Amino acid sequence: MDAKRPAPASSTNKRWGLLFKKSTGRILPFMRRSLFWQISILLLVVLSGRSPAYAADSLVRYEASHQAMGTVFTIVAYGSNAAYLGEVTDQAFGEIDRLDDQMSNYKPESALSAINRQAYRQRVVVEPHLFALLENSLRYSEETGGAFDITVGPLMESWGFFRGRGRLPRASELARVLKRIGYRHVKLDAAARTIQFDEPGVEIDLGGIAKGYAVDQVVKILDSDGVKQALVSSGTSSVYARGSPPGEQGWKVSVRNPLDTKKAACVLRLQNLSLSVSGDYEKFFKLGGKIYAHIMDPHTGMPVENMLSTVVVSPSATDSDALSTAFFVEGVRRSRDYLEHHPNLTAIFYLPGGSGHTVQQIVMKSSVTRLPAGSFVRIAGN
Amino acid sequence: MENKKQVTRRDFLKTATVAVAVGGAAKPLAGAPAILASPNPNSVVNYGFIGTGTEGCTLLGFLTTIPEGRCIATCDIYPPNLKKGVETIGTNPQTYTGSPTEYRKMLERKDMDAVLIATPLSMHAQMVIDALDAGKHVFVEKTMYFKEEEGDRIKKAAEAHPKQVLQIGLQRRSSTLYRVAMEMVRKGALGKVMFVRAQWHRNSNWRRPVADPRLERMINWRMYKEYSGGLMAELASHQIDIANWAFGATPVSVVATGGIDYWKDGRETCDNVEAIFEYPEGRKLFYSSILYNAHFGFNEQIMGDQGTLITTIGKGLYYHEAAHKVTKGAAKENWWAGATVAQDAEQKGIPIFPEHTNGQGEGGFMERELLYAKRWLASMGIYEYEEAHAPRWSELHNLMHSIRDGKPAVVPLEIGMADALGVIYANRAIETGEKVSWPKKAV
Repeated sequence: MDAKRPAPASSTNKRWGLLFKKSTGRILPFMRRSLFWQISILLLVVLSGRSPAYAADSLVRYEASHQAMGTVFTIVAYGSNAAYLGEVTDQAFGEIDRLDDQMSNYKPESALSAINRQAYRQRVVVEPHLFALLENSLRYSEETGGAFDITVGPLMESWGFFRGRGRLPRASELARVLKRIGYRHVKLDAAARTIQFDEPGVEIDLGGIAKGYAVDQVVKILDSDGVKQALVSSGTSSVYARGSPPGEQGWKVSVRNPLDTKKAACVLRLQNLSLSVSGDYEKFFKLGGKIYAHIMDPHTGMPVENMLSTVVVSPSATDSDALSTAFFVEGVRRSRDYLEHHPNLTAIFYLPGGSGHTVQQIVMKSSVTRLPAGSFVRIAGN
Repeated sequence: MENKKQVTRRDFLKTATVAVAVGGAAKPLAGAPAILASPNPNSVVNYGFIGTGTEGCTLLGFLTTIPEGRCIATCDIYPPNLKKGVETIGTNPQTYTGSPTEYRKMLERKDMDAVLIATPLSMHAQMVIDALDAGKHVFVEKTMYFKEEEGDRIKKAAEAHPKQVLQIGLQRRSSTLYRVAMEMVRKGALGKVMFVRAQWHRNSNWRRPVADPRLERMINWRMYKEYSGGLMAELASHQIDIANWAFGATPVSVVATGGIDYWKDGRETCDNVEAIFEYPEGRKLFYSSILYNAHFGFNEQIMGDQGTLITTIGKGLYYHEAAHKVTKGAAKENWWAGATVAQDAEQKGIPIFPEHTNGQGEGGFMERELLYAKRWLASMGIYEYEEAHAPRWSELHNLMHSIRDGKPAVVPLEIGMADALGVIYANRAIETGEKVSWPKKAV
């Protein structure tokens, strides 16, 4: 990976050199190279207030989008070489595609689909990174009392979310489906790196964590490729802010108001942190005057009520993705317990206000916050 | 049938050879020019129609709803087709039949402004030249001509009669949808267009039923090299023209293959043709036409580094390439976070005419995408509501207005010649197995 790291100085010199050959030859024969450098740096510093390091490079902003995991991933990156940033984003999108191919439960040929088909009848050997993610998933389940649960898929199916038409399942059907739900049915053997289900019909769905995980993998690629100012978004539900945009203190991220999604519920400034949102306004259906969200309470088999949206800020997007779902299910009170025992998290809850047309915002933080140097979150309100 | 004159294969062959012979001794016909002296918006274009077979009658059907023109004569050597033509147009035209050169008598009519020609390909050139020399405006079906040398002869005749309209029957040029598509290409919606893939796939023997075996070569003239350029001339010609249009250029060379590999029924023209046309700057048209699978039907896929257009009659879809944007300096960053924005893994095309796909749900992804597409197209000044007419109706309507109002033809000589040369050279490449290059100063 290091071989791909750009050499900003030399590439910059090369380009400027080219410019200079033309300049000295035709346009500005009197201009000396060093003088030009000084003038241009001075001008940029004076005009924009940016640090000289950026002024020395010709700064470019590269933005690219890519469809995967049923959504659109977007990367915006700053650097001195657009072609290089294009190569980096291509590499990142390639990695996202690889993860999609591995973890999709829509693709019959994916490793996850193979697990879902075989793991009741036999132990299935799992690729190490996927195994680690499964271990992590079960850990989140343990720590959240089962609020986060990767086996909740069949429940979504019986509520009709996969077919795109919502329906109210019968109590008997719900009871039958609930037998197949529960992370405890998933048995991992770390030594053999195998997975097995102890109940027929158990299915794993990584929809609550895979996008955040993919964002983290992209951040690793950005890191090894030397891209220091970038923002990664997986369909807006998980965002990672790497560094800050030039001349800014953190990336500005506006969280949608769940009742009026064109408006911001709050505005944050993030640096070297991820933010994930769970909400019920993109996938829901109305039945008998009630609105049913796509986020299920694995304990009851019913969609969660009385929660509009949750936001979690964490150094890891895998964390924030899983926990935003878990907190949505757990509610404010039980989430507070979690925050007391786990560091470095900020959680924002959006609950229905008194009249039904307003949103109540509750912000909570971990009792212990020791963020790595260079990471910060600031909430500006709305 | 026994009382009617039977047209036999021999008669038909005679027609073709006479046509060639007449061409050899090309002299202006005696008929006085009947060009509309000055364009008059209220005048009606009197026209004669040569060749009232399947295609001819399709055109006549459209012509019945174009009051700017009046059919005063039809001509066909095959009585059933002649009858069908008369019935289709319903204006009680004078008919010309019997002799293979009967059409020349028709051209002598002084009250005739224009001639429309929808005969087998091998007859086009002589008829066009005769009609021009007789002072008529001319519409000729694609492919414009059959043999390479015919191109210059038609060009000479057209140049000798600069006030007469000569329009070639490439009806996609009259289609609003195709015109919008090409505006998108021209205005850069696809980025740099480097590649066109096109095909016309059918699953049939491409024959017409022949009751009397003696009529086989006349009815199924498309099967025989003496009269026809086969799939290249009859189907590919439309799509070669689309590539020429999209690239804004004509090819520099073509490699091609083909064969009679499935319908081994005595035909002489290929039941499959495959060709790669190279254009300036390395741009390519990748083409196939086959008669044993219809799944992909017929369309053109125009590919640029920023997008793809898939066009066919009545339907056009635009697909973005994965978007990336490079800008200089810092931008005002403001990112939104919210519940996952769902998007189908496979990108849906944006219709060129978004209005047609209304009612797909309120405020859904597709609806928003369509709204965006409409605004975007409108903002580029290229948004059109819809295709108001069948392209063939439009081409005939355009023809009448070119004649009556003195407007330039929608598909003039140059476009027809570039198209015909593509057909002729591709067929040559198939026959010789060698790459065929365009002359340095091709039309």
